[in-house]
Amino acid sequence: MSNVELVSIIVFFLAFYALVTNRNIIRTIIFSSLMEVSVITFWLSIGFRERLNPPILYTMADYEHIYTADPVTQALMLTAVVIGIAVTAIKTIMFITLYRKYKTTDWDLARIRKTEG
Amino acid sequence: MTTLIVILWLVCSVFVIFEKKIVRMILWLFLSSIIASIIYLLLGSPDLAMAEATASAFVTIIFVIGFEKFFNLRDMKKYLKDEKEIEKENKFKRYILPAIISIGILVLFINFAIPVEQNDYLKNLILDRFTIDIGGENAVTAIYLGYRVYDTIFEALLLVIAVVAVVHMSNFDITKVNDGKHSELETSGMALFLVRIVAPITIIFGVYLIANGFLSAGGGFQGGLAIACFFVCRFFIYDIYDLPIKKINRLEDFIFIIIVAMAALTIFAGLIQQVPYRFMTLAQEIYLFVMNALIGIKVALGFIILFYRYVAIERN
Repeated sequence: MSNVELVSIIVFFLAFYALVTNRNIIRTIIFSSLMEVSVITFWLSIGFRERLNPPILYTMADYEHIYTADPVTQALMLTAVVIGIAVTAIKTIMFITLYRKYKTTDWDLARIRKTEG
Repeated sequence: MTTLIVILWLVCSVFVIFEKKIVRMILWLFLSSIIASIIYLLLGSPDLAMAEATASAFVTIIFVIGFEKFFNLRDMKKYLKDEKEIEKENKFKRYILPAIISIGILVLFINFAIPVEQNDYLKNLILDRFTIDIGGENAVTAIYLGYRVYDTIFEALLLVIAVVAVVHMSNFDITKVNDGKHSELETSGMALFLVRIVAPITIIFGVYLIANGFLSAGGGFQGGLAIACFFVCRFFIYDIYDLPIKKINRLEDFIFIIIVAMAALTIFAGLIQQVPYRFMTLAQEIYLFVMNALIGIKVALGFIILFYRYVAIERN
């Protein structure tokens, strides 16, 4: 297991712990963005070797492709990055509508105000 | 080298988690994403490095604009008082149980992750064949426009849905916002001067990325994000709300339909294999360029709409 893989797992679980224990909705949104970054780093770090070349024809040196990075995960994660921004935008706008209705940034308080009506 | 930057990334992420003020959290998240993009570059994926850098810039803008409508970001304390209203809470259930669970899964994962030798079959197959099958010189572009174009279509669809959601939730009836002060952020002369210098470079960079996406690192997503960042800069320089958002929205849907039609005709129906062998390379490069350009325009329009709708949200 390489350094990058290990650190990305640690960051993921740190952000997970913070997301579960925090009651502020804004902080929850920011922590979920951090989790997303760590997940993408984890995927890219699979099969890590020193001196990896990008999967572009000009830089691909040897026939066996040992020192070329895996293009499949990169293409998958590229869509994940763009989807991540769209989902973050939806999360933020949902929080804004929730704040307009219940006037709070707290999960528990929002739930209490919702049940009280 | 990699170890040093990874440690720096870990430190920035820990700062995100333990920071009290929201505005500092947003800035630490931005820094963390930028360092992550440097890590991606060292892992051999310049495409993702560019995408992550532009994405982190855009997410920071969305956070600041979205939260600044309701809060004075510098003085968050009076809004965070809500948390103290609920007194009785189970300390064990709130803090200790999640800690045990997350540390437990982490230890299990690190201990029992089997060090399997990576299976390189698919990677070698694609790297050997992509210049013949799809064309171009960038394997990543070849995958997301050729082998897995279905994913790209669904990604574009998800962006359309996100734009619809944001437009729906942010009072679309208001089509015009008074010119003048849209944002309560302090506008410093120095920052505005820098933005004026950076903005034209951004759009040239975006067009360059889209045009050379199939030959080198780059592509539709990154170029589209860079062009969207140019329009954000333009808004901050002139401070006018003059883009016809409804027309842009319709244009975006139209371009999405064109993308689906083009992918269906060329890849799914196999029209590109019918081209005579002499013109094969030319046809493939035209297909890659046009698809990259369409995706770039679509992503740029989508994120311009997102940004402008965030600006037009009514203040409390």
